[in-house]
Amino acid sequence: MDERLLIEAAQGDPSRFGELYEQNFGRVYAFIARRVRTRQEAQDITSEVFQRALANLKRFEWRGSPFAAWLYRMASNAIADHYRQESREISWQQPEITDDEIVSAERRDLLARSVDRLPAEQRRVILMRFIEEQSIREIAEQMGKSEGAIKQLQWRAMQNLRAQMKNG
Amino acid sequence: MAERDLIQQLDAAVNAIVAGRAKDVRPVDPDVDAMVAIAGDLRDLPDPLFKASLKWKVVPRVRHTIAPHFRVRGVADYIPFLEAAFGGVEEFRAPRPDGLIAHAEVRIGDSIVEMGDAAGAVGPIAFGIHLYVDNVDELYARALKAGATALYPIVDQPYGDREGSVKDPFGNHWYIASPVRAGFRTVTPFLHPRGAERMLQFLTAAFGARTVEEPDKAPDGTIAHAAMRIGDSLIEMGEAHGEWQPMEGGIHLYVDDCDAVYRSAVAAGATTIYEPFDAPYGERSAYVIDPFGNHWYIGTPK
Repeated sequence: MDERLLIEAAQGDPSRFGELYEQNFGRVYAFIARRVRTRQEAQDITSEVFQRALANLKRFEWRGSPFAAWLYRMASNAIADHYRQESREISWQQPEITDDEIVSAERRDLLARSVDRLPAEQRRVILMRFIEEQSIREIAEQMGKSEGAIKQLQWRAMQNLRAQMKNG
Repeated sequence: MAERDLIQQLDAAVNAIVAGRAKDVRPVDPDVDAMVAIAGDLRDLPDPLFKASLKWKVVPRVRHTIAPHFRVRGVADYIPFLEAAFGGVEEFRAPRPDGLIAHAEVRIGDSIVEMGDAAGAVGPIAFGIHLYVDNVDELYARALKAGATALYPIVDQPYGDREGSVKDPFGNHWYIASPVRAGFRTVTPFLHPRGAERMLQFLTAAFGARTVEEPDKAPDGTIAHAAMRIGDSLIEMGEAHGEWQPMEGGIHLYVDDCDAVYRSAVAAGATTIYEPFDAPYGERSAYVIDPFGNHWYIGTPK
C-alpha cells in the first residue's frame, strides 16, 4: 500500500501502525546502531523513537518527503537526548544527519531483510554468531553438528548474503 | 585457494569482528574480503526477538473476544497463503530461536486470526472458519489459485447466502459467504460438534454465551445451525454430519478475568492443560480443552 495511505490509516486507527513499523524498523535501528556504543543503547533508543512516532503521528503532515526522513530526525533527537541525559551537559552537540549515514542505514536494513530470507539453518547460525555472539563450538553443540559443518553453514550464509546484496 | 582455507579465513575474520577487533582482520582473498565487509555490517543486525517484542509493546492491537487460533506445520508458509487467498495482512510474528514461529497474527477484513507452529508433541489443529465477504466468487477463485482445494462449489443457499467452501493446504476449512450478515465480522469460527445441543449448554455455562437467534433444527431434531455470542464476538456451529465431522478448533478467548472464566470453564467440564499464570508476553493466560476437543486459550491482557 502507498505510504501516504498507510500513514493516513494509522492516523485514523493506531492499530494500523504495524505496517509502518515493519517498513521502517530496520532502517531506524541501523541508523541508531551506528551512533551509539552498545546493542542495549540501540534497543532502548529505537523503543523510544517508535513510541514517540506513534504518539506524534497525528501531527505528521504529508509534504512529499518520505516518512523515513521524519523518523531519522526523531532518532537523531532521541540519541541527542540520551547523551545529554547521560553526560548532563546541555552543550552536547547533535550531529547533522548525513547522506552517507542514510545510505549505510538503508544498506544494513536490506542486509537484515536478506538474513530473514536465508535457509533456516544458515539464518540460525548468523543470528547465533552475530547477535548471541556464540562461538562455533557453542553453536555446534546446540545444533548437534560438527564445528566444520557450522563453519560451512556460515560460509554458505555469507555467500548467499553477498549475492543478495549484489542483486538488491 | 581451496574452499576449506577460505572458510577458515572467513571464520577468523568473523571472530575478530564479533570480538570488536575488526582492525585485526587481514584480508587475503577478494571473495573473503567482500564477505568481511558484510560481516562488519552484521554487527548491527537487530535481534528479531527485540523487533517482535517492541512491536508487541508499541502497536495497539485489535482485540475482539474471540480470535481463531490455528496451529499448523509451517506458519512461515501459512501467512503468505492467507495473504494470497484472503487478502490477509501480517500484523505480528514472534520468531523462535529455531526459526519456527511461536505466535503470529494476521488481519483478515475486520478480524484477527492467530497462529503458532506445531512442533514436537504439539501437533497441528485444523478447524472451520465462516468468512463473510462482499465478493464470494472472487475470494473463492482467489483461494483456489493460492493453493486451497474445493470442498463444495459456490451455490445460492435457500437461506439467502451465496457460499462455497475450500480446504486450505494446512487442513483448515473456509466457508466463504456473501452477503455480509448484520452482526457478523469477516471471520467467525464454525464448529461441527457431535452433540451441538450439549455444546450450546457448555458455552453458556463456561463462557456466558448467549444464542443470538433460535437455532435451526435438522429433520432429525439436531441443531443444523446456531450462532452464539460471547462478549463482542460470535461463534457458529452445526451438528456433525456427513463430511462435516468434528475438528479440534483453537480459540483465543480474551476476557476481563482469566481466572474467573477458567474456573467456570473447568466447572462446566473443560480439562485443564495449564492453570492461569502470568505469561511473559503480558497476559494472564490459561489453557483448557472442552469436552468436544476444542482448545481454548483464555487470556486477559495486562
